Amino acid sequence: MLLIILRRLGQSFLVLFLVAFVSFMIFRYVGNPVDNLLGQEATNDRRDALIEALGLNDPLHVQYLSFVGRALQFDFGISYRTAQPVADMIIQRLPATLELALVSAIFAMFVGVVAGVYTAINRRGFIANSILSSSLIGVSLPTFLIGVLLIWVFSVELKWLPSFGRGDVVDLGFWTTGFLTVSGLKSLILPGITLGLYQMTLIMRLTRAEMLEVLRQDYIKFARARGLQDRTVYFGHALKNTLVPVITIAGLQLGSIVAFAIITETVFQWPGVGLMFINAVYFVDIPVMSAYLLLVGTLFVLINLIVDLLYLVIDPRLRDGQLKRTGG
Amino acid sequence: MTETLLELKGLEVTFTTRRGTLKAVDDLSLTVKRGEILGIVGESGAGKSMTGAAIIGLIDPPGRVSNGEIWFEQQRVDKNPESMRGRQVSMVFQDPLTSLNPLRTVGDQLVETILAHMDVTKAEALQRARDGLTEVGIDPDRINAYPHAFSGGMRQRVVIALALATEPQLVIADEPTTALDVSVQAQVLDLLKKLCRERGTSVILITHDMGVIAQTSDRIAVMYAGRLAEIGETREVLTNPQHPYTQGLMASTPSVDAKSFGQELFQIPGAMPKLDALPSGCAFNPRCSQAHARCQTDRPPILADRAACWLMENAS
Repeated sequence: MLLIILRRLGQSFLVLFLVAFVSFMIFRYVGNPVDNLLGQEATNDRRDALIEALGLNDPLHVQYLSFVGRALQFDFGISYRTAQPVADMIIQRLPATLELALVSAIFAMFVGVVAGVYTAINRRGFIANSILSSSLIGVSLPTFLIGVLLIWVFSVELKWLPSFGRGDVVDLGFWTTGFLTVSGLKSLILPGITLGLYQMTLIMRLTRAEMLEVLRQDYIKFARARGLQDRTVYFGHALKNTLVPVITIAGLQLGSIVAFAIITETVFQWPGVGLMFINAVYFVDIPVMSAYLLLVGTLFVLINLIVDLLYLVIDPRLRDGQLKRTGG
Repeated sequence: MTETLLELKGLEVTFTTRRGTLKAVDDLSLTVKRGEILGIVGESGAGKSMTGAAIIGLIDPPGRVSNGEIWFEQQRVDKNPESMRGRQVSMVFQDPLTSLNPLRTVGDQLVETILAHMDVTKAEALQRARDGLTEVGIDPDRINAYPHAFSGGMRQRVVIALALATEPQLVIADEPTTALDVSVQAQVLDLLKKLCRERGTSVILITHDMGVIAQTSDRIAVMYAGRLAEIGETREVLTNPQHPYTQGLMASTPSVDAKSFGQELFQIPGAMPKLDALPSGCAFNPRCSQAHARCQTDRPPILADRAACWLMENAS
């Protein structure tokens, strides 16, 4: 068990080093940092001085290691556009994105699993089939359109919810949160749904398919034959067995929620890292882009690690390192 | 031994498919006495398992009990099988590798079953679970082990402990040893028989293995194409079969005594008819060497309390 965890941690670090390498290559070779910093009209002396200061004459691996070393100390260089340290910009904006992602993920997981279980249990029911058909909308409509539609209905027509921004936030020093004010919470609803809708339908359809598969298993029939209540059979026996594949996908989707919050943040003018990234792309702000890449990469690796550890919690067969799947 | 525990009256199980209605069990009547072990034999698709599923009320749609009555302890139960399922009637399935939930400990599944049916505290349920494991020959200290930590034979012991945990009056064992090694089969079968005899529990043992039936059951019911072909005391039916189908079954059962070396095994010609293409009259008539004109037109009832065959008409 410990061995599995250690091996898994080792793999995570390897992947992180590779992500850092790609991020470094972008940082170092996309555009010319000297031109970007000094502009075209700088004298050769000033250029040489800067090249020396940035260590651009050092061998590649030295530059890479010093890049990683600085990244570990949360130093991603200076933004070309705002001349702020990139790390400060990220810290400033990350809470907004993470809170939005958290709300979306909870919405997607909770509604997705519940609706998935419901549609699997009432396979022939009218409501279940309606949910299933309308879920196609969630899969096929593009995010920005859903966002705009929601704004139109709930902000413009009904005037219930704000159409942009985070509302009032409370500054906790290291973190600004919208969870503590009414307007902050109201502001989270529309972007949260917009961002999580696709993931929700995906998780719902996956849960349904897995649940139907599990309900055909002998141990479900045996559980019924033992005279257990339907509720116990569904939630005590079937649900846990559907969770392993659902968690895999949900984990990956959670990463996507953060990584691709860009569109939702643009639609709702959400002051998060996605919006920051889009602006960085407009202005070819290389350090911000490479730091964002590193951030998203780290997030994915972290989530995958957690998912793998969750497997061990859920499935005792994996805990014992017995990987052959006898007994369905 | 004489009191009737379970009675099936004209049980009929049908499946509605696009090609029409199929009768998986057709007009089946039989009784199970208290403490008795009744074997049900027949080929695949003869309706044995369907009969078991019908009694416990677990036929998967589109199948359903379309006719007939099921009486248990003088109560009609076919309308609400939940009332006795798991409590008075329990079931053992064929494949122990898939019968247990792989993600929950065996103790957990035992305790859950006991708590669902009996008015006991958690601690008492746990003690009963440990006793149950001991009875089936499993170290009770393994109560917190997961199913994958047990072998197939051990898992079937756990399944038997589960089936007996609520002290049911009837256990339906659907091919309980088919998935096990031959040497383990005998152990598991003996265990099931011993425990049920001790408690006076009735058993319906569904199998296609004549050897299993011979060793275990008091009475035997032979099914063919969803219908009862022959029923009687095990010794009687096996040594002196009346229905030509039972005779064929007996003749085609391999034996290992000295005479049978090098001999070719008897086969019943043809195959069991599909349920959507049953012949008129007796379902067995196209394969029967003794069939006569009436067999092709009229379906025989059970004659002389023994066999559904027109040959019995003169005997009765």
